Amino acid sequence: MVSLTSASTIAQSALQAIAAQTSVVSRNIAGASSTNYYSEKSVNIVTSGSGGAQVLSVTNAQNNALFNSYLNANSANSMQSALSSGLTQIAQTLGDTTSTTNDTSPSALLSNFSNALQTYEASPADTTAASSAVRAASALASGLNSATDTVQSVREQADASMATSVATINTLLAQFQSLNNQIKTGTVMGSDITDLLDSRDSVLQQLSAQIGITTTTGANHDMSIATDSGVTLFQETARTVSFAPTTTYTASTTGNAVMVDGVPVTGAGSPMPITSGALAGLATLRDTTAVTYQNQLDQIAGGLINDFAETDQTGSGAPAEPGLFTYSGAANSSSIPISTSNMTGLAGEIQVAASVDPTQGGNASLLRDGGIANTSGSSTYTYNTSGAASYTTRLQSLITSISQAQTFGSSGQILTSASLSDYANASLGWLDAQQQTTSNAAAYQSTLLGSATTALSNGTGTSLDTEMSKMLDLENTYSASAKLMTTINDMYTALFSDLNL
Amino acid sequence: MSLLSSMYGAVSGMSAQSNSLSAISDNITNASTVGYKDASTEFSDLLTNVGKNAYSSGGVKTSVQYDVAQQGVLEAASSTTDLAIQNNGFFLVNDASGGTYLTRAGAFTANADGTLTNAAGFTLMGYSLTADNATTPADGVPGLIPVNVTAESLQATASTTGTLTANLPSTASSLATSTTLPSTNASGATYSEKTSLVTYDSLGNPVTLDIYLTNTTASGSTTPTWEMDIYNAADAGTSSTTSSFPYSTSNAADGDTPLLYSGTLSFNSTGALTGTAASGTTYTTNLGTSQPSTATSIAVDIPNTVGDTQTLTLDLSGMTQLASNFNVTAHTTNGQAPSSVTGVTVNTGGILAATYANGTTKNLFQIPLGTVASVNQLTPLTGNVYTTNSESGIINVGTANENGYGTINSQELESSTVDIATELTNMIVAQRGYEANSKVFQTGSDLLSMLNNTLK
Repeated sequence: MVSLTSASTIAQSALQAIAAQTSVVSRNIAGASSTNYYSEKSVNIVTSGSGGAQVLSVTNAQNNALFNSYLNANSANSMQSALSSGLTQIAQTLGDTTSTTNDTSPSALLSNFSNALQTYEASPADTTAASSAVRAASALASGLNSATDTVQSVREQADASMATSVATINTLLAQFQSLNNQIKTGTVMGSDITDLLDSRDSVLQQLSAQIGITTTTGANHDMSIATDSGVTLFQETARTVSFAPTTTYTASTTGNAVMVDGVPVTGAGSPMPITSGALAGLATLRDTTAVTYQNQLDQIAGGLINDFAETDQTGSGAPAEPGLFTYSGAANSSSIPISTSNMTGLAGEIQVAASVDPTQGGNASLLRDGGIANTSGSSTYTYNTSGAASYTTRLQSLITSISQAQTFGSSGQILTSASLSDYANASLGWLDAQQQTTSNAAAYQSTLLGSATTALSNGTGTSLDTEMSKMLDLENTYSASAKLMTTINDMYTALFSDLNL
Repeated sequence: MSLLSSMYGAVSGMSAQSNSLSAISDNITNASTVGYKDASTEFSDLLTNVGKNAYSSGGVKTSVQYDVAQQGVLEAASSTTDLAIQNNGFFLVNDASGGTYLTRAGAFTANADGTLTNAAGFTLMGYSLTADNATTPADGVPGLIPVNVTAESLQATASTTGTLTANLPSTASSLATSTTLPSTNASGATYSEKTSLVTYDSLGNPVTLDIYLTNTTASGSTTPTWEMDIYNAADAGTSSTTSSFPYSTSNAADGDTPLLYSGTLSFNSTGALTGTAASGTTYTTNLGTSQPSTATSIAVDIPNTVGDTQTLTLDLSGMTQLASNFNVTAHTTNGQAPSSVTGVTVNTGGILAATYANGTTKNLFQIPLGTVASVNQLTPLTGNVYTTNSESGIINVGTANENGYGTINSQELESSTVDIATELTNMIVAQRGYEANSKVFQTGSDLLSMLNNTLK
C-alpha cells in the first residue's frame, strides 16, 4: 500500500539507517587514531518487508590469516627479545671486549695472567713481578666469580620474569573468558559485538607476547586457545597456568617448569615444549643459554685449578692438592685433577690460595717455589727444594700447562680438547655469537612484526580517507531523505489548507 | 408523501455521513496505534416505495467494514519481544478471564511474573518446548499456555555428545615400548600429546577431561596406532609438580576408577582414522554396560555425583595422523553450566529462545499464529483484538512461516493501516455529503413551508 503515511515511514527508516551508519563512521574515525587494536566496522543494511531500510547488523573487517601471522610474529619477537636482553646483560658485565684496557672477560683476564707469569718467569727473583702475577691471578678468579654472579642473577631475573609472565597470562585468560562469554551471548542475541571482538583480539595480542598461541573459532564466535605446542590454554574455561618461582640460583639449581593444564611446557623434560613468546625466551635463557655459559666458566675454573695443582714432591704418596687456584670446597676434595663432569659451580668458588696472596698475608714467591698446599711445617709440595731465587722450572711448567691442550666437558658445547686460553677465547666467541644470533633474530622478528602489523592494519584497520568519503555520501543521502520528509510535509500542508484547517 | 420522505431520506443521509465521520475520526485517532486496521463505512440505498409514477425516498443504510486483512507497514522497534506479522495470521492472546482472541498488535513486554503482555493487557499464548526441545507444536487452542520468558531462568545441561578433532603428529616418536603409558596411571607416565575438554554433569558442574594421546605404533608397523586415555582433571595427583600422574584412585562420590576411557585409535596409510578399540573394562566397570562398538566415536563415562549413568559420546571421526603439528581444530560438547537468562530471541518461525549469559540458547516456546476463514468478518473488540463469529469461522492454529502463514518479525511492529491523507480526503467527502443532505432537508423544509404559506 503506497500512501503518504508509508512514504513518511520509509523516509524515517532511511534517516535511522543513515544515523546508524554515521555513528559507525564516527566510531571508525575515533578508532583510526586509537592506539588499541581497532578493526573497521561496517553496517549491513537490507530492505525491510515494507520497503524501508533496515539495519541488520554491524560487522567488523576480519582477516584471520593476517591476524594469525601477527600473533606468530609477536610471539617470535617477544621470545627473541627476551633472550637477547638476557644475553646482552651477561655480555655487558664482561666489559668492552674490543678494548684491551677495560676488558673483564675471562679470556682477557687469563691472557693478562699468562703475561704476568711470563714476566715473572723472566725475572724469578723479582718480588714485584711475583706480586703482580698473583694480583693477575686474583683478578682472574674474581672475574670468574663475578661472571658467575652475573649469569646466576640473569637466571634469577629470568625466573622472576617468568613468574610475572605467568601471572599476566592468567589475568589475560580470565579477561578472555569474560569477553568470550559476552561475545557468544551477543552473537545469539544479534547485538553489536564488534567492539567486544576487538577487545578479545587485543587480549590475544597481549597473550601472544607472553606465550606462543594458536586459536580455533567455533559456533557463535566461541574461541579456544592452545599453546603453539598444542596444550589447551582455554576451551569453555581458562586452564590453570602455574609456576613455582625459585628466588636464588646457583650453578647447580634447576628452575621449575611452567605448567599449563598439567603439562610442563618448559624445561628439558617437557613432552610438549612451547617455542615462542616471552615465556619460551626466558625459559631458554634460564635453562639453556645461561646454563651453557656457566658450564663454560666452570670448565675454565676447573681447568685453572687442575693446571695449578701441586703434586707430592717427596714421593710419600700424598694426593695432589690445589695450588695457586683453590675453591671453597677444597678441603673436602679428594680428587685432583677434578674430572670435567664434576666442575659445576667452580667458577663461583674459585679463589687464590691465601698462602700465596700478599694481600691476605701470604708469600707471592710460593708461585715460583711451590708449596702453596703445604700444611704448616711440612714441605711436601715444595718444588724449589734448594730455595734458589733463580728457580724457573715450576713457572715454566705452569706457563706450558696454560697453553697445552687438555680435555673439557661437552656441557660447555664448544671445544672438548683445547688449551685453556683457546677454550676461554672460544667461550667468549660463543657468547658473542649467541648474542649476535639472537640480536639478529630479534631484529628480524621485529621487522617481521612491523610488516605483519602494517598488513593487519591495512587489511582490517580504518582509513580516514575512506571514512571521510563515506561521511560525505551519508550527508548527501541524509539531505535527500530529509528533503523527502519535507516534501511529504508540504503535501500534508497543501491538504490541510484545502480543508481550511 | 414524497416530500416528507425526501426529508427523511436526507436525515438518513446526514446520519450515514455522521457514521462515516465517526469512523474517520476513529481512524485518525488510531493513526499511530500498533496493529490497528482502518474502518470504512459502506453505504447502500434503501428503497421503500418506488413506482413508475412516484418516488418516495427511502434513504441510505450504513454498514461498517474493517479491512483486517490489510498489511500495515512494519516499523523498527528496539525490544526483541516487539513482534510483527508479515502476511497472514494473528497472534493468539488471552484476556484476564481466559478468553482467546486474535490480534496483530505485537508490542509485547514481560510483566512482573515474566509473561508477555501487549499494550492492551492481553497475554501472548504459545506452546511450551522445554520438555524435549521439540519445535513442532500440537495444533489447537487448548494446548496453549501463556508465554513466560523467565520460565527457565537458571538452566544446566549435561554433556551427552561432543566432538574432538585433532591432528596427531605422525612425526612423534613411538612410545610403544614404554612401561609407563598413561593407561597405567603410573607416576611420571609418558605421553606424546595432551589436550583437555570441558564437559558438564547433570547439575552443571564442569568436569574437565584430561585427554592423553600417545603414539604406540609398533616398530616397523604400517598401521599407526595411538593410545587414547581420558582422566578427570579433578583427580590429578598432587605428589608431583610436573605431572598429573598418578590420578587419585580414591575418586569422587561415584566410586568410579580414575581412568574414564582407554583405547586405541588406528589410522590408515593416508592418516585418516580407521577405527577405535576400547581396551580394558573401565567403561563396563563404571557403568555396568559394555562400550558401544562404533568405528569412530567412543563412549566416555562422565563422573557424575547424581546418579552415575552419564555417558559422553565423543565423535573422533575427524582425527588425522599426518606429518604436522599437534593441533586441535574442534573440541565441543553440548553441555552447559547453570547460567542466567540474558535475553530472549524470536525467530521468523515463532520460536522464542532464551539466551544465557554463557552464550548458549534454549528454545522455550513456539509462538503459533491463528487465522480464520474470513478475516475481514472478525468482530473487533477494544484493545485491537478480534473475536470470531459465525461469519468469520473458527480459529485455525498453525506455525509461522509454514502453510500460508506469515512470518513473525522480532524487533518490528506493524503500524496502523490508517493513511491520514485518505482519511482527510474522506472527511471532506463526508462533510460535503452532509452539507448536500442538509440542503435537501432545507429544500424539503422550504417547500413544505411554501405549501403551508399557500394555505394562508
